[in-house]
Amino acid sequence: MDWKTQLKLQAFLDGELPETQARKVSNSLAQDREAAALLAELRQTREALAGFDKGIQLPETREFFWSKIQREIQRAEARTPAPVGIPFFARLRRLLMPATAVALLAIVGMVATRQTGSTLRSGGAEAETSLEDTGAFTYRDYSAGTTLVWLSYPAEHELADEDEGGTLD
Amino acid sequence: MRHNPASTAILIWCSVVCAVLACGESRSQAATLKLQVQLVWGTNDDRSPDPKHKPVESDVREKLKELPLKWSNYFEVNRKGFEVSPAGVIRIALSEKCEVEVRSLGSSKLEVTLFGKGKETLKRTQSLPNGEMLVLGGNAPNSTAWLVVLKRME
Repeated sequence: MDWKTQLKLQAFLDGELPETQARKVSNSLAQDREAAALLAELRQTREALAGFDKGIQLPETREFFWSKIQREIQRAEARTPAPVGIPFFARLRRLLMPATAVALLAIVGMVATRQTGSTLRSGGAEAETSLEDTGAFTYRDYSAGTTLVWLSYPAEHELADEDEGGTLD
Repeated sequence: MRHNPASTAILIWCSVVCAVLACGESRSQAATLKLQVQLVWGTNDDRSPDPKHKPVESDVREKLKELPLKWSNYFEVNRKGFEVSPAGVIRIALSEKCEVEVRSLGSSKLEVTLFGKGKETLKRTQSLPNGEMLVLGGNAPNSTAWLVVLKRME
């Protein structure tokens, strides 16, 4: 049974069909057992619900009750903000987000560069010594941050001539 | 608590500004190098025969002790503090026979030239970050040693 026939049965039960159509439906019920069963079910349902809301009474008139609902709906609609352009903070956020990502990368790069530079500065990699003394050596104490260049030249009679007391003065 | 991305972004931007300012500050500080050079005598004697000599400061002594040197005592013969401007050069006389020339090459990099009796003995280029030391040394009479200690002060 299609949907339209079901609605027509409901209308028939409620007495909403014109007389000619109601007669047709009434005649078809004798042959259509499915329609008859549905009509019986609908009738039982209506009887079961009959009188269900009889005890409920509104404290005000029906018109006033519905007008209150209407006013609430109108108030809720008025509260809904009218669609406007993108708010300032939203635009600011859109601008700041990618810029912040770039800034973070810049900070990481800056820190990495500074650390690398510090490592290079601390290391002896960029040190360069030129001297004629082939017996000299260089020692680097990384933990203390000290570099020692030991020369065999000038010898005792050059830079380090001792004075009368045996010191360097 | 609701996380506010805009506040986080502003905070990060403030950090960026601070970091940039800090970098600028450190660069401006690195513009002029403050250094100190000492002529030091190394010996195993407990006392120097020259009463004008005094033991080197503790921080220098500790660093010298870390080096593979055999002397137990170090006495300061002379000390000079000086500043080198960017790309500047300065020549310091530590004794009649010993002079040091320091040239700033920027970014803590220095060119140090040692002169013995006016003759160029050594030229070394290296970075000298704050607190680090460059020690040039050699043997001196009576199993002692001479040391030129160049220290970055700032």
